[in-house]
Amino acid sequence: MEPKEATGKENMVTKKKNLAFLRSRLYMLERRKTDTVVDSSVSGDHSGTLRRSQSDRTEYNQKLQEKMTPQGECSVAETLTPEEEHQMKRMMAKREKIIKELIQTEKDYLNDLELCVREVVQPLRNKKIDRLDVDSLFSNIESVHQISAKLLSLLEEATTDVEPAMQVIGEVFLQIKGPLEDIYKIYCYQHDEARSILESYEKEEELKEHLSHCIQSLKKIYMQEGKPNLLDMGSLMIKPIQRVMKYPLLLCELRNSTPPSHPDYRALDDAFAAVKDINVNINELKRRKDLVLKYKKNDEDESLKDKLSKLNIHSISKKSKRVTNHLKILTRGESQVKDNTFNREEKLFRALEKTVRLCVKNISLCLQHIQDAMPLALQSVMDLQEISYNKDDEMGYSETLSNALNSCHDFASHLQRLILTPLSALLSLFPGPHKLIQKRYDKLLDCNSYLQRSAGEESDLAKKEYEALNAQLVEELQAFNQAARKILLNCLCSFITLLRDLMLVAQQAYSTLVPVPLLVSSISEIQNQVLEEVQNLNCVKENSATFIERKLSFEKKKPVQILPEMPRQTDIHRSKLLSTYSAEELYQAKRKCNATQEYDINLLEGELVAVIEQKDPLGSTSRWLVDTGNVKGYVYSSFLKPYNPAKMQKVDTENRFCDDDFENISLFVSSRPASDSVTGTSESSIGDSSSSLSGTCGKFETNGTDVDSFQEVDEQIFYAVHAFQARSDHELSLQEYQRVHILRFCDLSGNKEWWLAEAQGQKGYVPANYLGKMTYA
Amino acid sequence: MSWIPFKIGQPKKQIVPKTVERDFEREYGKLQQLEEQTRKLQKDMKKSTDADLAMSKSAVKISLDLLSNPLCEQDQDLLSMVTALDTAMKRMDAFNQEKVNQIQKTVIEPLKKFGSVFPSLNMAVKRREQALQDYRRLQAKVEKYEEKEKTGPVLAKLHQAREELRPVREDFEAKNRQLLEEMPRFYGSRLDYFQPSFESLIRAQVVYYSEMHKIFGDLTQQLDQPGHSDEQRERENEAKLSELRALSIVADD
Repeated sequence: MEPKEATGKENMVTKKKNLAFLRSRLYMLERRKTDTVVDSSVSGDHSGTLRRSQSDRTEYNQKLQEKMTPQGECSVAETLTPEEEHQMKRMMAKREKIIKELIQTEKDYLNDLELCVREVVQPLRNKKIDRLDVDSLFSNIESVHQISAKLLSLLEEATTDVEPAMQVIGEVFLQIKGPLEDIYKIYCYQHDEARSILESYEKEEELKEHLSHCIQSLKKIYMQEGKPNLLDMGSLMIKPIQRVMKYPLLLCELRNSTPPSHPDYRALDDAFAAVKDINVNINELKRRKDLVLKYKKNDEDESLKDKLSKLNIHSISKKSKRVTNHLKILTRGESQVKDNTFNREEKLFRALEKTVRLCVKNISLCLQHIQDAMPLALQSVMDLQEISYNKDDEMGYSETLSNALNSCHDFASHLQRLILTPLSALLSLFPGPHKLIQKRYDKLLDCNSYLQRSAGEESDLAKKEYEALNAQLVEELQAFNQAARKILLNCLCSFITLLRDLMLVAQQAYSTLVPVPLLVSSISEIQNQVLEEVQNLNCVKENSATFIERKLSFEKKKPVQILPEMPRQTDIHRSKLLSTYSAEELYQAKRKCNATQEYDINLLEGELVAVIEQKDPLGSTSRWLVDTGNVKGYVYSSFLKPYNPAKMQKVDTENRFCDDDFENISLFVSSRPASDSVTGTSESSIGDSSSSLSGTCGKFETNGTDVDSFQEVDEQIFYAVHAFQARSDHELSLQEYQRVHILRFCDLSGNKEWWLAEAQGQKGYVPANYLGKMTYA
Repeated sequence: MSWIPFKIGQPKKQIVPKTVERDFEREYGKLQQLEEQTRKLQKDMKKSTDADLAMSKSAVKISLDLLSNPLCEQDQDLLSMVTALDTAMKRMDAFNQEKVNQIQKTVIEPLKKFGSVFPSLNMAVKRREQALQDYRRLQAKVEKYEEKEKTGPVLAKLHQAREELRPVREDFEAKNRQLLEEMPRFYGSRLDYFQPSFESLIRAQVVYYSEMHKIFGDLTQQLDQPGHSDEQRERENEAKLSELRALSIVADD
């Protein structure tokens, strides 16, 4: 006995180790199952461990058989000690039998599993048929097999060489219940699907053949063993489920036949409860899944007809009840069942969805822009290089640049693969949970409404459905959110890494090109110098007189030649006209008109002319011969309007006071060509746009200050549209754009043509039509 | 110049030597090509800088949208990461803007200025062409009178025509000579003119990209667990995705 006990203890130690090992194995299997791609190294490793466990087991079996054969009689003899009571004896005998049965059935079951794995699963796996997914058929049958082997070995350890009075079976189950539940949960969970998959496989001739081939070989073995009870694949697959349902029955029986004084009694009680729990949990899990599947399927593949046919009174009343309930909750803060975990997860879920969607959108947009921008930039660099260097100087840049272009394409494909594809895939997973969340809400409303009316059975059902749905959602949403968050984070990290790599590539590409560094200021200096040279070059060319003129007009410079030949109308001319012509003959230019033909004259807006003849030499009445006081020439009649001092004043005031902005803009425009100095500067500054820009800025600023003061003195600030030369002491000379303060809008005799103005401390009369209203223009 | 193109037995006198005409065509052709190139380049640069700006704007939008999401409120890790990303993106945008400004100043504007010279060149060439036409017309007139019998009035007219011809010919020759001499110089000036632009463009890009590389390099170091390669992440994503697909709440098609 002594050495046996020692081995027993030793076994206990190894047993514990094995258990730990088993747990880790279990997770491995789970993981492997979820992997879509079965890594060859993983499966190799896996089969290795499997083999090891098998050899372990066979070794154990041998040992076991050695011990079992004598022990059977021996233990019976031992239980029948004379001190035991009769009742106790009977119970113990029954107990003995049950334990035996337990072990025997477990052994058979294990044998079945082993055969199944060896004859069906492994060959099918080795065949590697693409359409045949062995994993989905048998899910984790290998781990089922292992846990069964473990259980058997534990059971045997607990019974072998142990006094029947000391045999503690319950402890074995309690020890193993964690992995047991986990493994069977997975198997049962997948079983329904496996069934439907099996059905679909059996419809395909080729796959069916493979399956039946395996079954045949298995049947042969069974026949040899004298157990012709195997029917088909389905019965093979359901075996673990049948087995797990048997445990509670066996344990219950065992407990009932165990005297309460027996040390195993309590343990068995606990074990029975634990095993029952396992079954309940598995059932609940399956139920939840069925429920989820039911509602998930709801909307898929459903035509309008189907929907209409489903629309019956029951569903309508259900829907309307939900709506009213929802309203009630909204309006009256009706007490309702709340699940904070769920709410948190749902919020997270929605936020995740939004983020992922936005990320996909923004990142692909950004990618598109990068794809646009990088080649364009490289292209323009190459083009600039082409014109900056002689073709003979081979710089060898184009190669590096095309390399950079390639890496840009690489970047795009990487981005697509590493970020956009996973994110899009992730995004496509969101609608399913969405639908269920909605369904959960509906169920919650149902549940609430029943709660209020406290309708017993219905309320129970609704509550159960809601709870199942809620539990499933809470559990899986958590997993979902975690995984989704991880993917999102990964993608963002990848994005940053990719950007970094892209930047590095671009930097290297450009760095190989870089010549001597130059300062920005020196660049513009050099360039201005070169440009000046070039322009001098052209100027030399343009020494021919005709060329200058044409060239200038081509460059859109203002035709300056008009000015010398056509001086502006002065007041002398004006008064001469007024005195020599009658009022009917006097006209005024409505707007600026430029000479277009020979003998045409230029007029500025407001200039006074006397019409000599209302037609031109060719007899056309659209051009009139007019006298401006110093020249005579032709003007289009459409530019003229009859001269009427009173009316003009009115129009002027209208223009000045009502239509200020527009008027002043036109005044500005019309005045421009007339002012030599201003046009001069602005033209010259075209060549150097930056300086002219700052110049205009300066002007705007001064205008701004003018506006301020203008507001203080009301509307009496005007500015000189044209320069005006005083002819006497009464008049005031004006510079163009000079600001004047108007003291009175008429002269002493009431003539509104002349205004009393004040500028720089001097007072005097100025012609009203020389002035423009100062506005913020 | 006669308007009957093929006068047999009367080889027309070539008033402009063929070699001169060829030289002129070649030089002017080069300049025309250069004009086309600068115009195209100016357009392309504009497009390129616009695209650059659009790129960095869209990049900023990525992080902004992330930042404004309620997701970040609860998730401290994510928040710090997104904030860092946002900072990086904004810096990228700022640097990009700077780069574009620089390019605008040192490349696009010089291109524009250089391009503004071409109209006068074209005009000069046009004037030369006109002068050539005049020259040919008058030359033909002179030739016509030369072929005629040398009577008194004809001689007088010939003399008059020759008198008319001389200034026109001189004008043309001056223009021609000037252009022939100056076009290569103009063409050559582009090298000195554009090389600084080119260098500046390259430098702007290098500065920008090295800065970007630094920013994103720092960011990756700040955010990333070391030793996480793209492949690892890809695998992890795959695993997570299939994990998700295995969930019963996810619709599997």
